[in-house]
Amino acid sequence: MHYLRFFALACLLCASTFVFSKSNIDNTQGIVGFAGEHAGMAFSGEFTRWNAKISLPPEASPSIEAEFQLASARTGDAIYDETLPEGDWFDVKNHPVGKFTSSNIEAVDNGYLVEGTLRLRGKTLPVSFKLNENGERLQSRFAIDRLEYGIGLDSDPEADWVSREIQMTLDIPKP
Amino acid sequence: MFTDNRYPDKRYHSLSVLLHWLIAGGLLFMFASGLYMVNAEMPKADQYKLFQIHKASGVIMLWAIALRLLTRWLTHQPPLPSELSVKEQKLAKLGHLALYIGLCVMPLSGWLMVSASPFGLPTFVFVDWIKWPHIPFVERNKTIESLARNTHWIVASGLLLIIIGHIAAVIMHKKKQNIQLLKRMWWFKNDQN
Ligand code: HEM
Repeated sequence: MHYLRFFALACLLCASTFVFSKSNIDNTQGIVGFAGEHAGMAFSGEFTRWNAKISLPPEASPSIEAEFQLASARTGDAIYDETLPEGDWFDVKNHPVGKFTSSNIEAVDNGYLVEGTLRLRGKTLPVSFKLNENGERLQSRFAIDRLEYGIGLDSDPEADWVSREIQMTLDIPKP
Repeated sequence: MFTDNRYPDKRYHSLSVLLHWLIAGGLLFMFASGLYMVNAEMPKADQYKLFQIHKASGVIMLWAIALRLLTRWLTHQPPLPSELSVKEQKLAKLGHLALYIGLCVMPLSGWLMVSASPFGLPTFVFVDWIKWPHIPFVERNKTIESLARNTHWIVASGLLLIIIGHIAAVIMHKKKQNIQLLKRMWWFKNDQN
C-alpha cells in the first residue's frame, strides 16, 4: 500500500514538473508578427491572438508549440485586414489556426537554434530559425515563402503585387 | 420634392437635371480613371490606389444612377419636341434607353468583377466605416470575373460611343431645327424658349 502511495506521489510530482517546466505564454506577453511588401509598399502586422508552450534547453525535452488564430492578423490597414482572412489568402474558414511545432532545439551562442514545422492553410512545411537572446527577451526574424503554403496562389502566383517572401518576427519573454 | 416642377412640359425635374450633370461629370472621371489605371505606366502603389478610388467612385455612381432611375419613374418627363420627326423620336428614345442600360451595366459589371476576383479585396467607399459588400455566391470565380471584366470594357466602349452620339444629337438638332435641347436639361425658370 505504501509503495502504491509513494508511486502515485512520484507520478504526480513528475507530471507537475513536466507541466510546470513548460512555460505558457500568449499574445499579452509577446509579439508574433509578419511583414512584406504589397504593390511596392511595405506592410507589417501581427497576430493578436496566439499562445505557445515553451521549454528550452537545458530542460530534458525542450520544445515549442505555438498556435495562432489566423483571423486575428492586424496590419492597421482595413483593406489588408479584410482581405487576409479570404479564401485565397489565409482561408480562415477552412484553416482557422496556424501552428508551429518544434522538432529540435539546440542551445547556441546568444540563443537557440529551433527547427520544426509550420502549418498554414493546411500545409505543414519545415522551418528553422534562431531565437536570439536579448536581455530577458527572445527574438527572431525569418522568412517564409507564401506561395509554398498556397497563400495568394490564385490571385498573385507571380508575386506581381504581394512579395513572395514574408518576414516572420517573434519577440517573446524568456521562459 | 417630386411635384415642384413648374415647367413639366418644358424641362426635366430639377432633381433629374442635377443628377444628369453629376452623373455626366462622374462618368468623365470614371472613364479617365478606368482607362488610365489599366493602361498607363505607373508605380504599382499608385495603380493599386487608383483602383480603390475607381471602385469607391463607381459605387457612388451606382447609387446616383439608381436615384436617377427612381426620379425618372416618379417625375413627369417632358415630351420630346414636336419638331422632331417620328423617326427621330424613335431614335432618341432608343438612344436614351441604351444610355440607361449602359449606365446600369457599367457599375454592376465592375461590382461583379471585384466580387468574383480571387484577390478578395473589399471595396471601402472612401472611409473605413462604409464597406460596400461583395455580391454573394461568386467569390473566387475566375470565369465570372473575366466575363464581368470583358463586359466592363466592351460596354464602356459602347457607352462612350453612345455618349458621343448623344452630344452630337443635341448639336445636330440645334443646327438643323434650331431646337434648344439643352434647356430641357437645365434649371431654366422662364416659360419662353
Ligand atoms: C459608371 C461606372 C463606371 C464606369 C464608367 C467605369 C469605367 C471603367 C473603364 C473605362 C475601365 C477601363 C477598362 C479597360 O480599359 O479595360 C474600367 C476598369 C475597371 N473598373 Fe470600372 N467603371 C465604372 C464602375 C466601376 C465599379 C462600380 C467598379 C467596382 C466596384 C469598377 C471596377 C473596375 C475595375 C476593377 C477595373 C479594372 C479592370 C481590369 O483589371 O481590366 N468600375 N472601368
